[in-house]
Amino acid sequence: KAISLARSSGAGGLAQWVLLELQGEVEPRQSGGLAGSLLGDLHYTQEGVPVLIVGHHILYGKVVQLEKPFAVLVKQGGSKAEPTEPHARYTVTALIKTKLLFKTRPKPIITNVPKKV
Amino acid sequence: GAMRSRAEVDATLQTAKLNPAELLPAVHCLSFGPQAGTGECCLMQLEPGLCAELEAGRSLVIRGEKDEQAVLCSKDKTYDMKIADTSNMLLLIPGCKTPEQLNADQASCNIIHSQIAGFSNSYWELRRCRPKLKKLRKLLMEDPYEGPDSQNDQTSTFSKYTTEDLLSLIQASEEQIMHQLQVIDAFKIGGYWRVLEFDYEMKLLNHVTQLIDSESWSLSKVPLRTCLEELGCLEPTEMIERILLSYGRKYIDDAGAIYFEMHEDKICRAIAQMLLQNAVKFNLSEFQEVWQQSVPEGMTTRLDQLKGLALVDRTSRPETIFLLKVEDLPEDNQERFNSLFSIREKWTEEDITPYIQDLCAEKQTVGVLLTKYARSSMQNGVKVYNSRRPIS
Repeated sequence: KAISLARSSGAGGLAQWVLLELQGEVEPRQSGGLAGSLLGDLHYTQEGVPVLIVGHHILYGKVVQLEKPFAVLVKQGGSKAEPTEPHARYTVTALIKTKLLFKTRPKPIITNVPKKV
Repeated sequence: GAMRSRAEVDATLQTAKLNPAELLPAVHCLSFGPQAGTGECCLMQLEPGLCAELEAGRSLVIRGEKDEQAVLCSKDKTYDMKIADTSNMLLLIPGCKTPEQLNADQASCNIIHSQIAGFSNSYWELRRCRPKLKKLRKLLMEDPYEGPDSQNDQTSTFSKYTTEDLLSLIQASEEQIMHQLQVIDAFKIGGYWRVLEFDYEMKLLNHVTQLIDSESWSLSKVPLRTCLEELGCLEPTEMIERILLSYGRKYIDDAGAIYFEMHEDKICRAIAQMLLQNAVKFNLSEFQEVWQQSVPEGMTTRLDQLKGLALVDRTSRPETIFLLKVEDLPEDNQERFNSLFSIREKWTEEDITPYIQDLCAEKQTVGVLLTKYARSSMQNGVKVYNSRRPIS
């Protein structure tokens, strides 16, 4: 059947979210699962370079304007159906036009060497 | 857990041996939101134009039955959907600010507690595709309109489709569906879309052409009112008007009267179909003679009027012609070519073009399709195309 991707009716149009792209997988540190647990601190240098501190690692990334933005589809009703299954209901909740891409290998904090010698 | 404090953030910076003076003052403390791991959010990469559509407040629709590959439709375009996997992890963060935004907003908070709404290592990719419109004709042909005297039209709405029905069953955008309805001369009776059953359509056309003949009207100036007056006793006036709209171009003269300029090519083509559907094939020259005699006075038949409707075999002795309607052929590219090559082993570009033209994507040429799906060779100094693979 037809599944309508309705615009979410928030005041003032679609929200703008940001994508954070990291290498590897996200795993919960505690046994309780991910919800509520911290990922890390996101800083930017004065030049606008994103710096992410995750656990004992520092990651340097870059801000990328996406050539093809993403739409964020949020399932209604909490079922596990895919968007292409007939019972799924989705709302376009936000657009993503920017991503923070962290491709560099994480630098362990312990061996971090100051930039200026 | 408790939210991080400025002191904790600064302590982490110190441990990391990062100089706060080299950083912007604001920090995002990222944590996973309550729904983050549930897979409720997913990502769809947008093709050009779709982003603007969403921002303008328009909706998108996913269409497809269980046995069909789902497509995404905007107001006027159709896209195939495919999952793309990435080896990276994509985290979705509402309210996360970029350096530009932080610099622009001097009063921004020092600590921004951002919750990750979801994460994924895959997203939906869209690729513009042809609308899948063959089904539209198929659905409407389940119950073609045979006229008011026909038995089966009275009650059953089983094989009848409203606009809403079609929008949920056809894998195409609304504009593409509405356009196709016009192309196939569909019309509404009681809210249901119908097409004319062919014999009934020819009967209606014949009434009109006979009248044109007996009134000696110019083919480019057929008056609506007189047609309705003269023929209204034979057929419903809506149907008389319908056939004029299908086979003519409506215009209004200076006095406000409605006329039709008849489409010579379309009328000749319909009459050819009527003749050809009665046998497997015809002697070409005999057919051409009967055909010319069957069309209204003042019209001239030409074989090029039959592109995509009939095929001439110039290798047989005598030369023959047979009905081959492009709309009866498969919609999928490879299947279409297989079907064409099983009908005829070698095709000239001129002969095959009407049967593959509709497969061309936007800005794609017939030549590109032929390069992809066929192999060319020379035969008697003429370039011909045959199948790339053996056809059983």
